[in-house]
Amino acid sequence: MNEIISMYIDDEMTLDDKIAFIEKIRADIFFSDETMGLLQQEKLIRSEVVERLPVLDTGPRFDWKKFFKPFFQPMGIVASALAALIVLLLIYTPHPAPGLITERFVIFKPDVSQVEITGTFTDWKRIPMNKIDDSGYWEIYLNLTQGEQRFVYILDNRYSFADPTMPARERDDFGGENSIFYAAQRI
Amino acid sequence: MKETYSSFYRAHKDKLFGYLIRLSGDYQLACDIMQESFTRFLERYAGKPLNPSLLYTIARNAVLDDVRKRTQRKDYRELIDDQPPDLEKQMLIREDYRNVLAAMQQLEKTERDILALTVSSNMTYREIAAVAGISEANVKVKVHRARIRLKKILKMEKNDE
Repeated sequence: MNEIISMYIDDEMTLDDKIAFIEKIRADIFFSDETMGLLQQEKLIRSEVVERLPVLDTGPRFDWKKFFKPFFQPMGIVASALAALIVLLLIYTPHPAPGLITERFVIFKPDVSQVEITGTFTDWKRIPMNKIDDSGYWEIYLNLTQGEQRFVYILDNRYSFADPTMPARERDDFGGENSIFYAAQRI
Repeated sequence: MKETYSSFYRAHKDKLFGYLIRLSGDYQLACDIMQESFTRFLERYAGKPLNPSLLYTIARNAVLDDVRKRTQRKDYRELIDDQPPDLEKQMLIREDYRNVLAAMQQLEKTERDILALTVSSNMTYREIAAVAGISEANVKVKVHRARIRLKKILKMEKNDE
C-alpha cells in the first residue's frame, strides 16, 4: 500500500517523506498515475455536499416614525400634498396593466417521485410541478413579470437541479447553481 | 481575537455537517445530530477553550449511538422518513454528490469514519487518532485504504452505467 500518497494529499509529510515521494513519482509511472487519480477523486470527495437556496433577507425593521417625520415639516406638507395629487391623477388616468407572461417549465426526470420549482418569481417558495402521465416529463405553467429571473428545480424534496437546457447559470454562494433567463413577451 | 461561540459555530457548522452526512449517508440524521452536537458542546463546555476535536467526538458518538439504537429496536425513522426536513430547510444535497455518498456507504465502517473525518475537518492525523481512539499509524493506513476502495467502487459504478 502506498500510504505516502494519502500523506501527500493530507499534508502529513516530513521533509524526508517529501524527498522519497518525489523520487518515487519520477521512477514509477504507475505510482504517479495512481497519485493523480487519487488527487482527482479527492477533489470530488471534498466538493460541497449540500447547496442552499438563498435565504430571504428580512433586513432591519421598517421605522414608520422616521419615515413620516419629514411629512410634518412645513415644506414636507406641501410636497406630500403635491405627491398625493399626482398619485390620484395617475390612478384615475386609464392605462394598461403591466402584462404577466405565461411561461412553461418542463423537465425530464423519470426516476423521481416529486419535482418542485423555486425561484425569484415564487419568492423562493417551492411549487410542485405536474407529472405528464408516464412520459417522465414534469411541467408547470407560471405567470411571471418581465425581466431577469432565476430558478432551480428540486427533486424528491432534497436535491437541487439547474435546468440543463438553459446555458445561463449562476453559482450561488454555497457551491450550487441556479438557472437564469430573461422573461419577455413572445411575438 | 478571542473566538466567540457564534464564530466557532459559523466556522465549523458546514464542516461538521459534511462529516456527518459522509459518515451516515442520512440527510435527516445529519441535520439532527449537527444541532444536537452544538447544543451539547455549548452546555458542557461553555467557558472553556473551543476545541474542534471535542465537537467531532461528540458528533461521532451521537452517530454511533444512533446506529446502536437502531439495531436494537425497530427502525422508528422509517415512519417519519417521508416528512420534509424541518431544520436547515435550505440545505439540499447536490445532484453530483449523490453517487459519492452512495459509494462511501459501501466502505467498511471504520474506513468510512476515518475518511469522512479526514476530508471534512481540518484536523491532523494525530487529532483524528484521538477522536477515533486508534493509533496515528492506523489512521494513515485506514485513510489510504478507504481512498483506494472508494476509487474501485466509483469505477465499478461508472462501468455499470
